[in-house]
Amino acid sequence: MMAAEENNRPFHYVQVVEEKCNGCVLCMKACPTSAIRVRKEKARIEGVCIDCGECLRVCPRDAMRAVTTGMDLANLSRFTILSVSPVLYAQFGPEATPNRILLALRKVFKFVYDQAFTHELYSAAAELYIQKCREEKRDVWPLISPVCPVVNRLIAYRFPSLLDHILPIITPRELAARELRKRLYCEKVFRLEDFGLYHVTPCSAKMIEVKEPMFLKNSYFDGILGISEVFNVVNKYIAEVEEEIILHQSSGVGIAWGLCGGEMAGFGHGNFLAVSGMQETIRYLEKIEMGLLRDIEFIEFRSCSEGCIGGPLTVADKYQAKTTVERLTRKYGIEKRVNTSSIKKAFDEGWFFIEKKSAPSAPRKRLSISEAIERQDQIEKVLQTLPQKECGACGSPDCRTFAEDVVDGNSSMRECVYLRMAKKGECK
Amino acid sequence: MPQLTRNFSIKARDFVRAGEVSIQVQGVLKAIGFPAEVIRRIAICAYESEMNVVMHGGDGELRLKVDTGSIDVEVEDYGEGIENIELALQEGYSTASTEDRERGFGAGMGLPNIKKNADSLDIHSKKGEGTCLKMSFMTGGGNDGSRGK
Repeated sequence: MMAAEENNRPFHYVQVVEEKCNGCVLCMKACPTSAIRVRKEKARIEGVCIDCGECLRVCPRDAMRAVTTGMDLANLSRFTILSVSPVLYAQFGPEATPNRILLALRKVFKFVYDQAFTHELYSAAAELYIQKCREEKRDVWPLISPVCPVVNRLIAYRFPSLLDHILPIITPRELAARELRKRLYCEKVFRLEDFGLYHVTPCSAKMIEVKEPMFLKNSYFDGILGISEVFNVVNKYIAEVEEEIILHQSSGVGIAWGLCGGEMAGFGHGNFLAVSGMQETIRYLEKIEMGLLRDIEFIEFRSCSEGCIGGPLTVADKYQAKTTVERLTRKYGIEKRVNTSSIKKAFDEGWFFIEKKSAPSAPRKRLSISEAIERQDQIEKVLQTLPQKECGACGSPDCRTFAEDVVDGNSSMRECVYLRMAKKGECK
Repeated sequence: MPQLTRNFSIKARDFVRAGEVSIQVQGVLKAIGFPAEVIRRIAICAYESEMNVVMHGGDGELRLKVDTGSIDVEVEDYGEGIENIELALQEGYSTASTEDRERGFGAGMGLPNIKKNADSLDIHSKKGEGTCLKMSFMTGGGNDGSRGK
């Protein structure tokens, strides 16, 4: 591979722990962007990684890791402020109420906030936007939720023609962070350098979202902590908390966001759809690109199956978590409590709108179109000579990708086990 | 001048795999790196014509020819043919069966959609002998600025 390309590669926050990797093909096979290769019995992320965490899920040796800010207190600011995804509430048993969970975190972290209070604001704004598109008879349907950072990157790399479908509304997590930051800084609670605002999240793609946001100039967060990282803190302190303060503010509308369909449940009437899981998401994006589903107004995509409760940084089983979310949603009710007229005013003033649009694109060799056509033709020819058993033993995820790697000079035909065996058979 | 040709067969009445050919066509064009806008137009046309073959066509074939300046998509089938092409090009005109309409297809937007998205369209058809659609797309030279190479 050319050095220029090496440097050019977009950064990502999923990494291989080499000591643990035995060079099996599971992560390589699971990767939806064919970004992984196995070289010298170690997995390597060489292509475009969208931080989806599929590799984390399938690795039996814990050799894939999502980089977070981490619990190492040296990495955290003097005053730590957490904004907590409601998915955290779904990780514990029935006795653990959201308020107790937040209070348990407060034994270690300075301030802890329930992020879900902005979910209702976002829902109202998104609804206003959809309505506006309807009235203006816009031609870009269906609109796509901006919430899942993996889906946004999947669209940027594989379906760039659909970037215009993404709702230009700031996500609830960033709205919450922006408001917290304003409150803590402008009201002079802290000096800017003294506090750090961290997102407690189930998602392996939030780190890239914080470091290189697609729709904000800068993220309003300083870093992230995985739910799996704070899980033990909650477990340790939850029995001893005294509920003298109320930290939990969100209703069932906010809590239900952890489930696929939770986002659009906050909207009024309309032709909406919720799709989850990587394979299904890709399938639907392909359909939209072919001009289908134009009668649908909004699609809530979540790359994790069942929604964010299936995120790679969670602890509880996603189906158990689903039951917990449903229970909590019933308990806290789904009545909307936001003031529609003040939201309309904020909407008209631009309070909800994204700050920029910057889509990362796949670094590719600088080929002219005619060179690229020739390359594609060669790939076809190489592919015809391969066994198409899709075994992955060559170190590439499938025969077609192997053919690409061979044509690009990143692998050699000798790596194909079937061709080697056939050759041996002839020699005998 | 390098050129790439690929042929894909389309099976009649195979609604499970319907759309796969268009996805493969998109894959080839994306790998080469044509502008997203061009790929999108081709994807729509490939899908609509693939569905026409699946619904009306009997078996057929999609032939993709990629050049630096233009992309040709030819879809030929050996099915029932089109009786009145002018009528078929009108929005909402459909000869799809009730069964296909119940599946959500056959709204009479296929050919009009193709006409809208292709830079040129040629239809050859004879009742009972099948249909051949020839679509051409200008690529605008691609995203690397090698226009007119």
